Amino acid sequence: MDLSVILWFVSIADIVIGLSLGSRLFLIAVGLSLIFGVLGVLNFAHGAFYMIGAYVALAVTNHLIDNFWLAVVAGALAVGVVGVLIEVGTIRPLYERAEGELDQLIVTFGFVLVIHEVVRFVWGSQPYSMDAPASLAFSVSIAGSTFSAYRLFVIGAAFVVMAGLWLFVTKTYFGALVRGTSSDREMASMLGVDVPRLYTAVFFLGSFLAGLGGALSAPLQSTSPALGDQVIIDAFIIVVIGGLGSMFGAFVGAMLVGLMQAIGPQFIAAGHIAIPFVAMVIVLLFRPEGLFGGIGE
Amino acid sequence: MGVSHYTVAGLTMIGEPGSIRNNENTPGGRAGPRVDRRSFLKATGTGLAATGLAGCLGDDDDGTVTLGAMYIFSGFASLYGDEAERGFDLAVEEINENGGIDGQDVEIIARDTEGDADTAIRQMTSLIEEDGVDGLFGLDSSGVAQAMAPQVEEQRVPLMVTHAATPFLTSPEGEHDNSVGNEWVFRNCNNLSIDMYGAAQVAAELNATEWATIGPDYAFGYETWDYFQAYLEGLGADAEFTEEQYPGLETSDFTPYISSVIGAEPDGVITPLWGADLTTFLGQADEAGWFDEIEYTLFSVGMGTDLPADGSPLPEGQHASTRYDPFVPESEENETFRETYYEEYDTLPTYNAEGAYRAVYLYKDAIEGDENDPEAIRDTFTGMEHSGPVGEYRFDEETNQAVVPAIWGAVSQDEEWESNVLDPVDVYDVTSDELDDLLADSELPSGV
Amino acid sequence: MSTGEEGIADRIGAFGHEAVRNGWTTERFALLGLLGLVLVAFGPTFQVYLFTEFMIIALFALAFNLLYGYTGLLSFGHAMFFAGGSYGMAMVLRDLTPHVADVVGSGIAPLVTFGLGAVAGVLLVLLIAIPVGWLSVRLEEIYFALITLAFGMLVFSVIIQNPGGLTNGTDGIIVTLGITEIAGIEFRLGDRQTYYFLTAAVVLPSVYAIWRVVTSPFGTVCKAIRESPDRAAALGVDVTYHRWMTFVVSAAFVGVAGVLMAGLANVASPYHAHWTTSAIPVVATVIGGATFFAGPIVGAFVFLYVRWGISRFPALEAHWELFFGLMLIGVVLYFKQGAAGGLLMLRGWLLDVRGAYDRGGTDAAVAYARESASARLGRTGGPSETEGGERE
Repeated sequence: MDLSVILWFVSIADIVIGLSLGSRLFLIAVGLSLIFGVLGVLNFAHGAFYMIGAYVALAVTNHLIDNFWLAVVAGALAVGVVGVLIEVGTIRPLYERAEGELDQLIVTFGFVLVIHEVVRFVWGSQPYSMDAPASLAFSVSIAGSTFSAYRLFVIGAAFVVMAGLWLFVTKTYFGALVRGTSSDREMASMLGVDVPRLYTAVFFLGSFLAGLGGALSAPLQSTSPALGDQVIIDAFIIVVIGGLGSMFGAFVGAMLVGLMQAIGPQFIAAGHIAIPFVAMVIVLLFRPEGLFGGIGE
Repeated sequence: MGVSHYTVAGLTMIGEPGSIRNNENTPGGRAGPRVDRRSFLKATGTGLAATGLAGCLGDDDDGTVTLGAMYIFSGFASLYGDEAERGFDLAVEEINENGGIDGQDVEIIARDTEGDADTAIRQMTSLIEEDGVDGLFGLDSSGVAQAMAPQVEEQRVPLMVTHAATPFLTSPEGEHDNSVGNEWVFRNCNNLSIDMYGAAQVAAELNATEWATIGPDYAFGYETWDYFQAYLEGLGADAEFTEEQYPGLETSDFTPYISSVIGAEPDGVITPLWGADLTTFLGQADEAGWFDEIEYTLFSVGMGTDLPADGSPLPEGQHASTRYDPFVPESEENETFRETYYEEYDTLPTYNAEGAYRAVYLYKDAIEGDENDPEAIRDTFTGMEHSGPVGEYRFDEETNQAVVPAIWGAVSQDEEWESNVLDPVDVYDVTSDELDDLLADSELPSGV
Repeated sequence: MSTGEEGIADRIGAFGHEAVRNGWTTERFALLGLLGLVLVAFGPTFQVYLFTEFMIIALFALAFNLLYGYTGLLSFGHAMFFAGGSYGMAMVLRDLTPHVADVVGSGIAPLVTFGLGAVAGVLLVLLIAIPVGWLSVRLEEIYFALITLAFGMLVFSVIIQNPGGLTNGTDGIIVTLGITEIAGIEFRLGDRQTYYFLTAAVVLPSVYAIWRVVTSPFGTVCKAIRESPDRAAALGVDVTYHRWMTFVVSAAFVGVAGVLMAGLANVASPYHAHWTTSAIPVVATVIGGATFFAGPIVGAFVFLYVRWGISRFPALEAHWELFFGLMLIGVVLYFKQGAAGGLLMLRGWLLDVRGAYDRGGTDAAVAYARESASARLGRTGGPSETEGGERE
């Protein structure tokens, strides 16, 4: 079958929009997946982390310095630091516990509530919008549809992050440690890997990526305290479909869900909200390791 | 500004400053000590749990008239609550400075419905059972209003709706499957049916035949589209209806929906998007080239959202409606209200502010010289003739709907007021019979 | 042999003797509890309402903990059963009231429809829970939490899509309980007091039934599974089957709670199925102490009444979630027994203090209290396996 048949149903514009939604979801999901793959922790607060990234970026451009790129870096770093504090303070004591995984899930859920309230206390409950950087504040026309250059930039950024992570994990010494520890923690420990430090480093990286995603997305969507709750469920769907622990799976899963959200409204208005959950159930039942397994794949 | 208008009589006894919103919080409209909770645990009775003390502290006889105000004070539509609060604050200040109601001060207890029926019913229960309010007013969301109507009937407390627009609220129970109107529910602003009558009049004049909609994914979104079509057909206009999109409330990225509507290439679109959703939509629609591709966009909640929102304003030249225009009618009453309001808040009043303002006066006028009793108030409201900034109007005796005109106009920036206004503005007077006639072929009630 | 009448008199007499002899027996507690329940009904309307809600949430959490506390499966989708109950009730009330009135007469119709609604709600829940449970119990730990979350959100998305006009989409279904008339006496089922007694009359037997389940051989097997699924399987227990059955029983009781909630909230809202509602029993159970039968009940009490307490402080009331978030983190990290465990420890400690008093009077008691308090403070964090830590 000729692939161009698909284009008869789906316009180029839909694909661009799908990739744009998917690229933002990828930045949340990949950190969630990475942390689960290495630490075995399912971080319920990852959506809240993403939200903090957006708020910090907003606050920096509004109050500190009117430089978009610095604001993005600040958002990502701030979330990375928050992640480290949470990992060291509250998740680390639970690694050795018999029911540690569920306890970690519950503790991170506790942080969902805490972060939600802190954000509301500081910024209130109304939504904020943020301007795209001036250098990218122009429109591009693709196949007859208009897009802001910034939207396309974020898609590119997701591809760059994916490539960078892949190189990082497969080509660097740190990456080798990460892969080794994720497949056999005790072996890694015996070989002299400082596992706790590695865990903290990975948690930092995963949180940093969530913060980066939030900050980069701020000009494309409205930022409100509801944001964290909205994206975490999507992120769960993605990491389950792609495979908990798989970075590549997170990428493919995010793009799939993004495309589904973009195309859904036109064809299956009545069902597009339910489909991702059906997919999640099916994958969990028949291929719980996800469509793609393994940290470096 | 910044002075608390509220009387404290009765408050010390209730010991419940939390349920009274301080005026200090008004401008930003956040971090106020109010019942305010968004996403978590919708199912439980936070509303109640977070508010009143004991029911025995109801304050029927303490020399104040207590009214319960129920609006959205948090989340994507909090701007409506903030606007309404400015309106009723102003009314309370004016009334209490001028001797109150029969010498009694008015006190208003504001509660956050969160735009959710479950929470709203709990808040209502608390206002009635805890605070012993003499009457209720407010409500922004049609879905919430429909859930509330049977409840106020059961509790036998009058409810003056000031914003929620579904015609089924003022369509007597039994008229249509969805009708929930009853003798305790009134509405002092125009409703969706009246507004869509105006919209259809506007649309029929435009050089457009293919119409589409993008609206919120609940009753209000669907009803807007149903009534818009029914009136256009009733007017015999040459119109086709080609595309409908219903994104969920609080959608953070409307782009897929926007793309679908643009893809259908309609001549005109009617959108009842509201709250921050409208603001978000406007930014994203602009980005996607919406206003280059689509000739006419009719914003039905436009002016209520445009003034208070601090995001993308409505584009000039597009059509928007309002349920009250600060320059219509050109009466002394309206001018005084507009000037006072502008002086107090440095912005023009929205229809939500005016609706809330007028609701307090409606209670004042109903209670004054009569006994302060729910049934007496209800009876006075029924068929009542009244006048306010919106003009002179009366309540239809069968539906309890205020018979007020539809107001549509073109958005334009006004230098003097530093704000968007409707200019030129058209006022479409309605009568209940006329609307019924136009809707005869559909099964929709006019709700007037 | 005595006649029935004497038997009762004897029993009351014996009960009295025993009460005097043994002090605070279970029966006495139960009697006091019942008395308290009746007294609450005559309190301020608001308190009646709050207590009704407490009972419903307590049942919700208790049923949830049947699965979590007794088989170790953490469900993040139990809201689907809560919604199943409330929607079953709401749909029956909306659609069947006139038909029921045709059959039984309009006077008693609201009451009969309510009963039918309750049955429909629980049946609907079973209809969902049997297949969903069968599929879900194949997974464990995080994966079980995720699949129940997915099923729950699936139910949520189906509800808001308003299939066949049944669920009324995001607006939910309004619930009005109406006026019942029996033999010329009119009463509103939705009246605060009436509904309070109705709720009590449903919740108390439900709690007892759950108690019977966990103390039955079935419950023992569940506990064995929780301690070690592999060992239980080696002993010939069909682990998956047991988990499935527990899942279904747990869901059914959550459905009962949902049925009651529909009447109290006067609306069946799609948010009853949302994952944030699934979090309610998790929060209540963890805070109350999942290892105790009464843990979820204590947790539900804390959940509702602490929140009410927080609402006394205007500066805090908008941010009560913060408090529960911190409490959740604190309990999981430092005190897994939760509030119920804390109460038992307090009781044990008070008994010790009294013991010291019996031995050496006030001075000894004070000395003991001081000593044990400083010993406890000296010990850092860490879950302390002390008195009363037994899992029931």
